[in-house]
Amino acid sequence: MATLSDNLAPEETLDLGPGDPTGPRRPVLSLHDVRISDQAGGREIVHGVSFTLTPGRVVGIVGESGSGKTLTCRAALGILPAHFEVTGGSIEIRGTDIADLSPAQWTALRGTTISAVFQDPASYLNPSLRVGAQIAEVVRVKKKLPRRAARRRAVDLLRAVHLREPELVYGQYPHELSGGMLQRVLIAAAIAADPHILIADEATTALDVTVQAEILDLLADLREQAGLALVVVSHDLAVVAQLCDEVLVMQQGEVVEQGPAERVLHDPRHDYTRLLIAEHEQYGLEKFLDPKEET
Amino acid sequence: MTTTEAQAAPDLRRGDVLSRTRHTLGRVTVTVARSIAIFVPVFLLATFVTFALRSLSGLSPARIQLGEEATPDAVARVEAQWGLDRPFLVQYWDWFTGVLHGRLGGSWTNGADISTLIGLGLGVSLSVATFALIIGVVVGFVLGTAAALRRTTWVDRAITGFVTVISVMPAFVVGIVLVTVFAVGLHLFPSAGYVPAAQGFGPWLAHITLPAVALSFDVVADVARQLRSSLIAAYRENYVTGAVVRGLSPRRIFFVHVLRNGLGPALATLGLKFPSLVGASVVTEWIFGLQGFGRFANDSAQAGDVPAVQGVLVVSIVLVVAFNLIVNLVLARVTPASQRGV
Amino acid sequence: MLRRVLVLPSGRIAVAILAVIALLALFGPLLAPQNPLATSDNTLASASGSHWLGTDYLGRDVLSRLLDGSRLSVLGSLEVAVTALVVGSVPGILSVYLGRAFEWITLRLADTLVALPFLLFAVAVIALLGNGITQAMLVTGVLVAPLFYRVSRAATLAVARSQYVEAALLSGASIGWVVRRHVWVKVLPPIAVALAQTFGVGFVIVSSLTFLGIGVQPPAPTWGGLLASDLGYLSHQPWAPLAPALLIMITVWAGNLLADALRDVSGEAGRALVNSRKTRTDRPDQSEPAPTGGA
Repeated sequence: MATLSDNLAPEETLDLGPGDPTGPRRPVLSLHDVRISDQAGGREIVHGVSFTLTPGRVVGIVGESGSGKTLTCRAALGILPAHFEVTGGSIEIRGTDIADLSPAQWTALRGTTISAVFQDPASYLNPSLRVGAQIAEVVRVKKKLPRRAARRRAVDLLRAVHLREPELVYGQYPHELSGGMLQRVLIAAAIAADPHILIADEATTALDVTVQAEILDLLADLREQAGLALVVVSHDLAVVAQLCDEVLVMQQGEVVEQGPAERVLHDPRHDYTRLLIAEHEQYGLEKFLDPKEET
Repeated sequence: MTTTEAQAAPDLRRGDVLSRTRHTLGRVTVTVARSIAIFVPVFLLATFVTFALRSLSGLSPARIQLGEEATPDAVARVEAQWGLDRPFLVQYWDWFTGVLHGRLGGSWTNGADISTLIGLGLGVSLSVATFALIIGVVVGFVLGTAAALRRTTWVDRAITGFVTVISVMPAFVVGIVLVTVFAVGLHLFPSAGYVPAAQGFGPWLAHITLPAVALSFDVVADVARQLRSSLIAAYRENYVTGAVVRGLSPRRIFFVHVLRNGLGPALATLGLKFPSLVGASVVTEWIFGLQGFGRFANDSAQAGDVPAVQGVLVVSIVLVVAFNLIVNLVLARVTPASQRGV
Repeated sequence: MLRRVLVLPSGRIAVAILAVIALLALFGPLLAPQNPLATSDNTLASASGSHWLGTDYLGRDVLSRLLDGSRLSVLGSLEVAVTALVVGSVPGILSVYLGRAFEWITLRLADTLVALPFLLFAVAVIALLGNGITQAMLVTGVLVAPLFYRVSRAATLAVARSQYVEAALLSGASIGWVVRRHVWVKVLPPIAVALAQTFGVGFVIVSSLTFLGIGVQPPAPTWGGLLASDLGYLSHQPWAPLAPALLIMITVWAGNLLADALRDVSGEAGRALVNSRKTRTDRPDQSEPAPTGGA
């Protein structure tokens, strides 16, 4: 299979400095005891989440819906919904506390340092613009490439996310593509400006099982090839098991268990984690657990 | 695999450009075809109803030409002259084929060619209607956008209030107010009449400004209201979050992503608005003493000149359908996604 | 539904204004202090104790003419609304149930009527069929009927496709029973909204027609006719159009306000239906991103 760097022209290779294996592994994203409250209701929704993400690593957040996973991600992206605020702790992106960022600084940071993909990819793309143009737009704006070069790079990116016939896909509208293809396009748009961190919030949830596996493979590829640091959010333990180094299990805004993925999956300490694993064993989680045991 | 792809790339690219042009052409064809598919039955039905008007009205050219006290013989003679003694469907077919060739027949009152008469008035009416549309779209766009971007602030409330007020002002009320203030009171504009553009741009503009403003209020209100709500709706869409996360600036998000999608419904409103604009021209042309299409319609109707009224209605239907066709084409270009399943 | 409308301040204002207008229509001619048709030498007089709103170019009392003319304007627009309701909503509801041929024909008819510039058409038809306000309003009612056709058809379609109706039909309920029991309840709110809207539209058309002198015999006073006669004497009485113009605007506004209030209380479903009429190209409402997020 053609890999990401194979397909990119040499001068356009994803340049991720921090991924350099010889340098010290400085954290790209660190959350310290982050608390998020609903200002309208005066309630605290997320009660202290901490983790550190270094280049090429993957942190997984699991939990049922309403457990605060998405809010935590949105806080790190600076896109909390109205009335929601970070009321405690700190979030640092490459050493900068996000509390100090101005709107313009946020705009500069997003896309180039941190980016994200979501569930229901169709809705995250503009229905009236060709998908290729939406990727090229990011390249043009964030990398200051001229129109033609941006177009070339967008096609390269579409090829890099393993879309067959990238030239054809470039000229299509979102409603002409399938869910799996759209998620690939969304990933291509998210990595177009070479971010260091990619947050995948339930990115595979609505997809067929086979397509889901392909997308997870793609994410794993990106991490290996480009040294991307990933935050993978899912209610599905299998997804997390396949990809992550570290796992946070959240329940009702509380991190109930946190640790290396293997340890949490094989030796769960919290009842809720055990419950999640027990549920998944019925659906064949073993096939993910077994190969990990060999390594 | 990579090498073959690299070689194939230039060919693919050229093919892609070709297929894209074909794509666009195809979409235009589909839009035009769909509009025509709706247009043909509409046109047949509307012309039939229009033509049936004469039989229902019981009006006759003999009344107009000979007066009320004409002998039955004289009436029959005149009616035969106009071909009104033939079967209804034959008359309709005759008239309909004439319409297809652009012949609308002769006026009952003076025998003049109706196509020519309408053509004379159409210049006036289209000048006014086009100017009204431009005012309506520009002002409506500015108001709607400002209200959407500053929603829940005093700007939004002020604009919403203003739009509410102007939306309940019928064209003839606006017309009277404008005449009172700007023509009679301040002498800024002529209160009536029309000067063709050929006799100078300034006078032409001065004569059509007040009627155009009077007609535009309705358009301003509808465009502003629709644009405000569709922009606000567009801002709630996920693709805006997507664009934010990709690091695009607020300005770019508005102009490239939000505006494009918010514009669709406002454009569609414009298509629905056009018939009432044509209708309201009857009233504004009366107020401002313009010898336009609407005035001609009113005068012919009052005189009982059936062929002239039929001609007016046919032309108005063609105008409305043509305008909607343009709107649909623009819509297909601006928001391609909305074209499926409509 | 009326009770819920009255809870809203806007609903109360709208109902209050319309009630006053209705009273004017009922008793206006009796309240007129002077004979609205009696001419005098005191022409174009300013407001005074004996003539509260002054006199017109024939010395007739303007207030009396306003009051006397109210009945015709209000009854005319009611006639428009009721005609449109009957002509539009009956085929609208039936189009869902009576098979393809009926559906096709009524849809084409609705398309045709919408394409007609209705003021122009009303002028033409009325002038040819005879100069009477009743004919005028019947014709106008037919021309605006597509609004009711669309609204009732959309509401009926939504109900007909719902599973509880399917279940009722499967369990042997008659179509008539289903229409009465299930469809009518859902169709009523959007129809009430359309009715209030049509009243406003009808009022503008009646006023426009009477302004042109169509549909009434000359000495009989109407609000539109008052404005028309004022037009010739603007340099003498620039304020004269104020009273009839304000009355027309307030009435139309009250109709719109009532429509909005009805729309608000009829809930999301009704609102979506009414909106879908306005903008057919709108995509179906997408659910808003839930603020509390998926996780």
